[in-house]
Amino acid sequence: MSETADTAFRVADLLRTEPPWDVFAERARRFEVHLNGKALEMTRGPITVEGFGVRVFRSRGDQTGVGFQASTDLSEDGIRAAATQADAITAFSNFPTRRVDLPTGAAPGPAAVEIRDPHLWARPMESLLEHAIALFGAFDGMNDVTPSFGSIRATLTETSIANSAGLRTSFAHTTVEFEVAVKAFGGPEGPPPGEYWVNDASRRLEPKSLPAQVQEWCRFARDVRRAKPTPTGDLPVILPASTLDGILPVVLGSRFTGGARLREIAPKSGDPLAAAPVTVYDDGRFPWAVGSAPVDDEGSPQRRRTLLSGGVASELLYDALHAGAFETSTTGNAVRNDRLFRDWRRFVHAPIGTATTIVVEPGSGGTDPELVEAAGDGVWVQQLGWAIPDSISTAFGGELRIGYRIRHGKLAEPIRGGTVGGVVLAPPGARSMLHDIDAIGSKGTLSESICAPSLLIRPLTVAGA
Amino acid sequence: MPDLRDAEGEFARVLTRLHRRTKFAEVLAERSDGRTLRYETRSIAYSSNPHLTGAVFRAWGGTRWVEAATSAFDATSIEEATGSLERALEKSAGSSDPPGPSATTRKEWATEPAQPMRDMGPEQLTTLAKDVLGWATDLKEVRQGQVVIAWEEEDRFYLNTAGARCFRRLHRVRASVAPIAFENGRVELDVLSEGGLGGQERLRFLTQDRVRQTARNAVELLRAKAPPVGEMTVLLDPSTTGTFAHESFGHGTEADQFLRDRSYLKPLLGQEVGPKFLTIVDDGAYPGGWGTIFCDDEGRAAGRTVLVDRGRFVGALHDRDTAAAFHVPPTGNTRRADFLSRAFVRMTNTFVEPQDWTYDELVKEAKNGVVLERATSGIEDPLGGQMQLKVKKGHRIERGQVTDLVSSMALSGNVLDFLKAIRGIGVKDDFEIDTGYCGKGQTDLLPSGTGGGYLLSRAVVGPA
Repeated sequence: MSETADTAFRVADLLRTEPPWDVFAERARRFEVHLNGKALEMTRGPITVEGFGVRVFRSRGDQTGVGFQASTDLSEDGIRAAATQADAITAFSNFPTRRVDLPTGAAPGPAAVEIRDPHLWARPMESLLEHAIALFGAFDGMNDVTPSFGSIRATLTETSIANSAGLRTSFAHTTVEFEVAVKAFGGPEGPPPGEYWVNDASRRLEPKSLPAQVQEWCRFARDVRRAKPTPTGDLPVILPASTLDGILPVVLGSRFTGGARLREIAPKSGDPLAAAPVTVYDDGRFPWAVGSAPVDDEGSPQRRRTLLSGGVASELLYDALHAGAFETSTTGNAVRNDRLFRDWRRFVHAPIGTATTIVVEPGSGGTDPELVEAAGDGVWVQQLGWAIPDSISTAFGGELRIGYRIRHGKLAEPIRGGTVGGVVLAPPGARSMLHDIDAIGSKGTLSESICAPSLLIRPLTVAGA
Repeated sequence: MPDLRDAEGEFARVLTRLHRRTKFAEVLAERSDGRTLRYETRSIAYSSNPHLTGAVFRAWGGTRWVEAATSAFDATSIEEATGSLERALEKSAGSSDPPGPSATTRKEWATEPAQPMRDMGPEQLTTLAKDVLGWATDLKEVRQGQVVIAWEEEDRFYLNTAGARCFRRLHRVRASVAPIAFENGRVELDVLSEGGLGGQERLRFLTQDRVRQTARNAVELLRAKAPPVGEMTVLLDPSTTGTFAHESFGHGTEADQFLRDRSYLKPLLGQEVGPKFLTIVDDGAYPGGWGTIFCDDEGRAAGRTVLVDRGRFVGALHDRDTAAAFHVPPTGNTRRADFLSRAFVRMTNTFVEPQDWTYDELVKEAKNGVVLERATSGIEDPLGGQMQLKVKKGHRIERGQVTDLVSSMALSGNVLDFLKAIRGIGVKDDFEIDTGYCGKGQTDLLPSGTGGGYLLSRAVVGPA
C-alpha cells in the first residue's frame, strides 16, 4: 500500500461534470483491538474502505446551488452516477454566495505536519497488540485495580483532494481512538467498585507514556471509591485541559465561524468576550493533534488563527462557501467530521467550517499546585459526565464523575456527584466562564481537540448532594 | 435501491466454503438510502445519503469470533474477505462449539408505509420546510431558524450456516424545527422534534400551532430564570424519563457488562429496586418505534424484554455469548452500528411503562421542586450507578403549582436511590417514544428509542 493514494485524482479524471467541483477521497484501513479485563476479546482488521465525496457548485445569480454525493462505487459508472446525483441536488440547495473560490494548489506545497505514526503505519495490528500488552503490563502487581472494558482502534488513511481549479494534493495520516474503563475494587466490606473511564483520540500510539498514565487513572478510580459528596455554591473551580476539551472546542468551533455569522450568532471583531489575559487560537497544524493536517478538507493550507486576543474577539473561521458569502478568504477550516462522534469514513460528509485544534495561550498562573493555592477554597474538576455545551446558548455542565475539594489552597478529599455548569459566552456585564477566568496556568497540555493549561474560574455554580 | 437478496447465492457459497473450516459462520449485509433537507433562514441544503453497501462475515474460530468485512459485492472483494477469514480460521486454535444457540429464524420483515417518504420529492419537502420555517420565525425576536427533515430506508440481510435467513427493511423518518430567538446579546432556541418508523404520516406533528408554540417557547427562554440548585423533588417529562430508562438504567442491563463485572445492576438481579408500580421494558418490535429492528444482527427475532417488573429487576439484555455464560436465552439485542462495526449487546426501544398519575396529580404530589423538560442528553455510568441527564429547560414547582420557567439543567444522582424515591408515574396519554442515537462507550452510534410518561422522584439539580 502506497502512503498517498490517488483516489481523488482518478475520480476527477473520470468526472464529466461542469466546473466548479471538488472531490475528497480516502482509502482507509481500520484495525481494532477490543479488551475484556486484561484479556483480548477480539481483534478486527484490516477493515478497508475506499470512497469519495464529489461536490458541485451551480451559480444562480446571488445564490449558489451546492450538491454533494458520497460513494464507495469507484467504477466509471459509479463515479458518474455520483456526479450526476450531486448535480441534480444543486437544483434544491441554495447557499447565499455569488462565488466559490476553490484552492488552486498553486502556492508552494505545505510543509509536513506530524500526523502519521510511522510505526503504526508499518505494523498496524502488531502495534495495537503491543500497546494492549503494554497497557496490561502497566497494571501488573496491582491487586485492586484492573481494566474492565475498552478498545484501541487505529485508522490508517490516505487522503486525496482534487478540484476543477487544478488542485491535486494528498497526504497520509493515522488516528488512534483509545477507550478504557479502569476499575478499582476489593475488600468484601469495602465501598462499591469505582471506575475512571478514559476516552481519547490522537494521532499516534505512545506506549512509553502508559505506565505513568495508568498510575494516574488508577488513582482516580481508587478515589472514586472514597469520594465524598460535592459541595454546593458558587465556588472557584479549576478545569484542566481534559475537562476543557469537552467544553471550549464545541462553543468556539461553532460560534467563531462563517456559519455562525450567517445565523447572526458570531461575535464581532472587538467584542469583549473574556477576561483580559485570555488569548485563544485555532491551529490546524498543531503537532500530533487529531484536527491537524497540511491542508483542510477542501485542500486549503492550514495555519494558526487568532480567535480571542487579550479577551477580545478577533478572527472568524471560514470554509470556501462561507468565505464566498462574506466576500472574504477561506481560513483553511473546512472539516468533514463531527467533533463529538468521530467518523473514520470522513468522505461521506460534506465539509463544514469549524475549528481544528483550539489552543489557549498559557498565562501567568503557574503550575497546577499554584493554581490550587490561588483558588483557596473550591473544586478541582477532573472529569465531568458529558459537559458538551448547547452551541446556541453556550450553556454547559455535567455530573462530576471525579473531582477534588480544594481547602486552604491544597487539594483535599476526592468528591463525586452533583453538577458543575454555567455558560461559556455571555454579553459584557453578564457572568460567563470566559469572563470569569481568574488565572491561567503556565503550561498547556494537548487533550484531543484542545491544547490548554488549567484554568481557574471564579466562580462556577456547583450543585452538590 | 438494488435488493441485497440478489446476492444470496454468492453469500450462501461463501458460508458453505467457510463451513468447511468452522462449526458456524454468518453474514450480515447492509444497504441504505435516504435524503436530508436542512432548511435554514439563509441557506437550503438538500443531500442524498452516501452510496454505501457492504457485508460482514463472522465465523467461530474455536475459541473466539473472527470477522472480515467488504464494502463491495464484486467477486474480487468477496473473495478477499473470504480468504482473510479462512486464513484467520486456519490460525485459530481450539475446537469448542460456538457459545449459545445459533439462530434458525427464517422470516422477512418490512415496514410498509402507506405514503413512503421516497414518494415525497425535493419540491414537496422544500415546500413543507418553507412553511414550517415561516411559522417558526414569525415573531420579531425569532430572526433565524432551522428545519430538518430526514428519511432513510435501511435493508439488512442475514444468513448463517444453521439455516437462518432474515431480511428486514426499515423506513425511518425524523424531523425537527428549531427557532432561534435573540434579545440584548442573548441567544436561545427551543426544539420540536419527532420521528420513528413509517412514512409521510410521521411529519403530521409539524402543525402550525405546535411550531408557533415552539417559537414562543424560544422567546420565553430568553427571559428564563436560573434553575434551582441542590437536591430536590424532580418531575421528569416523558423525554427525560425515556433518557433515564435508557442511559441511567438500560446500559447497566446490557449483559456484556455483566461478563466484564462492569454493572452495578449485576448483583441485584431478582431483587426489588423500585416501587411496585415501576416497570421498565426494552422492545425491539415496538410498533413504529425509532429503535425497532424486528430482527437482530445474529438473526434472532427482537421482542419485548422486561427489565424491571413491578419494581423487581428481573431481566437483562443478551447476545448469544452472554446468554451462554448466564444460561438464559438470547433476547434479540445484538446490534452492529453498520457492516463495518463489531456487534455488541445493545438496547432498542427502552421505556418506563405508563401508570395512572395525571400531570396535575404529580405536580400536586411534588409540592416543591422542578419539572425537567426536553431532554437533550444523558450518559451512562454502568459500574458506578451514577446518573446524568441534561434538559433544555424546566419549570419550578411551588406549593403544588407550576411557576417560573427556568433555563437548561443537569440532573445528577445515584440510580438506585432515584428508583427507590419514585413517587409516581404518569398516564399513557403522555407516553411517547423519542428518537435518539446511542453509543457503546463513545463510538458505534445507532438509532435507539426511549420512552416514558412523567415520573416523580428526587435528585440533585444544577445549571448546564
